[in-house]
Amino acid sequence: MKPIRSLDQLAEHVQSSCTKKKIAVAAAEDSNTFDAIVKATENGIVEAVMLGSAERIRQLCEEKSFDPDKFTIIDIPDELKATQEAVRMVKAGEADILMKGLVGTDKFLKAVLDKSAGLLPAKQIMSYVCALEIPAYHKLLFISDTAVLPFPDLNQKIAMTNFSIKMAKRFGIEKPKVALIGASEKVSLTFPNSIDYAMIAKMSQRHQLEEAIIDGPLDVFLACDKESVEIKGVKTAIDGDADILIFPNIEVSNAFYKGLMLFAGAELGGLIQGTEKPVVVMSRSESPKSKYYCIALACLMAEER
Amino acid sequence: MSVKKLDQLIDLAKTKEKKKLVVAYGQDAHTLGAVSKAVDLGFVDVIIVANKEIVEKVCKEEGIDPSKFEIVNEPNEISAGRKAVNLINEGKGNMLMKGLISSDNYMRAILNKDEGLLPAKATLSHISVFEVPTYHKLLITSDVAVIPAPDISQKISIANYLIKTAHRLDIENPKMALVCLSEKTNPKIQQTVDAAIITKMADRGQIKGAIVDGPMGFDLAIDQESAQIKKFNSPVAGDADCILWSNIEAGNVFYKTVTKLCHAELAAIVVGAKCPAILSSRGDSTKTKLYSIALAALMA
Repeated sequence: MKPIRSLDQLAEHVQSSCTKKKIAVAAAEDSNTFDAIVKATENGIVEAVMLGSAERIRQLCEEKSFDPDKFTIIDIPDELKATQEAVRMVKAGEADILMKGLVGTDKFLKAVLDKSAGLLPAKQIMSYVCALEIPAYHKLLFISDTAVLPFPDLNQKIAMTNFSIKMAKRFGIEKPKVALIGASEKVSLTFPNSIDYAMIAKMSQRHQLEEAIIDGPLDVFLACDKESVEIKGVKTAIDGDADILIFPNIEVSNAFYKGLMLFAGAELGGLIQGTEKPVVVMSRSESPKSKYYCIALACLMAEER
Repeated sequence: MSVKKLDQLIDLAKTKEKKKLVVAYGQDAHTLGAVSKAVDLGFVDVIIVANKEIVEKVCKEEGIDPSKFEIVNEPNEISAGRKAVNLINEGKGNMLMKGLISSDNYMRAILNKDEGLLPAKATLSHISVFEVPTYHKLLITSDVAVIPAPDISQKISIANYLIKTAHRLDIENPKMALVCLSEKTNPKIQQTVDAAIITKMADRGQIKGAIVDGPMGFDLAIDQESAQIKKFNSPVAGDADCILWSNIEAGNVFYKTVTKLCHAELAAIVVGAKCPAILSSRGDSTKTKLYSIALAALMA
C-alpha cells in the first residue's frame, strides 16, 4: 500500500479501504466525544454501540440534531457498569473497538485492566502511541509514550518501540526510522536513558525487535532535521528523517506534543497499545479533528490483515 | 606495516628510540637472560635494582657480561621494588619489569599512593598479545590478569588501552570484539548491556580509533565460518584484532588454554600506570619475557 502521510489520508484510507467497525462507547452520554462519534457514524467508518444513560444520550442526539436510531443505545446509567459491559462486548468479539466516554479514567482503566474480564493479557505492557501531524514536518511522526507510562524502564521502552513500529507499518511505512530521543546524541553513564537507548539500538541491530532502523540517543534536531545532522557530522541511519520518536518520559513527550498543538497547529490521532483490541481514550482538550482521527486510527488498527 | 607476529614486535621496537628498562629485583637467571637479550638486540638499556653480588654471580653462571647493565645495589626485595619505582618517578627509566620480587610486593610498590606509579583515578589493567598458530593475526586481549570483574567505566578504559596497543603495533583501525556468550543482547545480562553501551559510544566517536562491536560469542569474533553459519553480520566478525573479555575468568581461561594447548606465545604488560610494567611470572618462557619487553618498549 501507499504510505499514509497525513491524518486526512488516514481518515480517507479508513473510509475507502477498511470495513466498518463496531465501536462500544462506555458512558456514551459525553458531550466531549459526541461530535467525533457522530462524524464517524455519518462517514460510515463505525457502527456505534452507545452504553450509558439512554435518556442523556437521546438528549445529546436531540441537541445535535442527530437521529438516535443510527446508534445502538444500551441503557446502563451506572458508568462503571456501562464500562464493564462495553469491555465484555469487545472481549467477546461483539464489538471491535472500545472507547471511553464520560467515565473517570481510573474507573475506565480498572475495567480494561481487570485480570479476568479485562482486555490486557497477563504480563502485557500497556502503552500509548500517537500519530502526530506537524505542518512543518514532511510526514507523520509517531510518538510514544504520551499518556500511559510515566517513567518507562528499559522493557517498557522496548515495548513502546515495538508498538510504534507496528503502528507505523500499518500506515504502510515498511521500514520505519526510529529515533530514541534524549538531550544529545552522546552516551553518558550519568544519563540512564542514554544507556537504555544504546541497548535498544543494539537489540535492533541483532534483530531482537520489530524490524526497523533504530538509533539513539539522538536529540530532536538530529532525528528530524537533515541539516542538523550535516552540521554536527553525526553518523546516524535516521539522518534527520525519523518516522518515530521514542521519548524518555511522559513529561518530555507531553510537552513536545502539546507545544506543537498549541504553537504549530499540530493534530494527532492516538491509541492505547497492548490491549487485545483497540482502546480509544481521548483527552477533553484535544481538538474535534484529533478526536475524530483517534477513532479513525482505532479503525485502521482493528482492521484484519 | 602492521605487526602480525610477536617477532615483529622486536623488529618494530628496534626502529624506535631506545628505551630505558628498570628491573625490580632482577637477580634470577630467567630475568637476566631475557633482559640481556633485549640489550643485545639494541632496543633497551637496562638498570637493575638488586643485590649486586648475586646479579654478578648469576651473570657469570649464565655467561652474561654484567657490564652491559647499570646495577643499583639493593639487597632487600621490598626496598628494591620501591627504588625501581623511584627511578621511574625520577625520570631515569621509562618502563618497569618484575624480577625475583613477589607479585604482591611488586604491585604494592606500583600502587603506593604517595610514591607509586598510578595517576589519580587511573584504571590499572593488563594487555596481553597472543600469537596463536591457528589464527591469521595477533590477538590483543584484556583483561586476563588484573581486574576481576570490570565495570562499565573500567571496560571503557580497557577498550582504550586495547586500541592504543593496536595503534602502537601499527594496526591502524583495529577491529575490537566485546566477547560475551552470544551475540544476543539481554537486559538481564549486564555484560551484554555494557557491550551495547561501548559499541554505541564508538558509533558516536566517544571511543575513537577502532571498529567496535559486541556482544558476540568468541567464535563469531575469530571465525568467519561461524559468523556465516549464524548469519551474523558485523564488521568485526571473524577478523578481530582486539578482544575485550567480560570478566577475568573468561580471559584467564583463554590465556591458559591457548598457551598450554595451542602452542601460543604471548607478550604481556600492565597498563594504566605512569609507564608500562612487565609482570611476567617464572612460568613464562624467555621468549615471552623478551616479547613483553619489546611490547613495553613500544608502549613506553
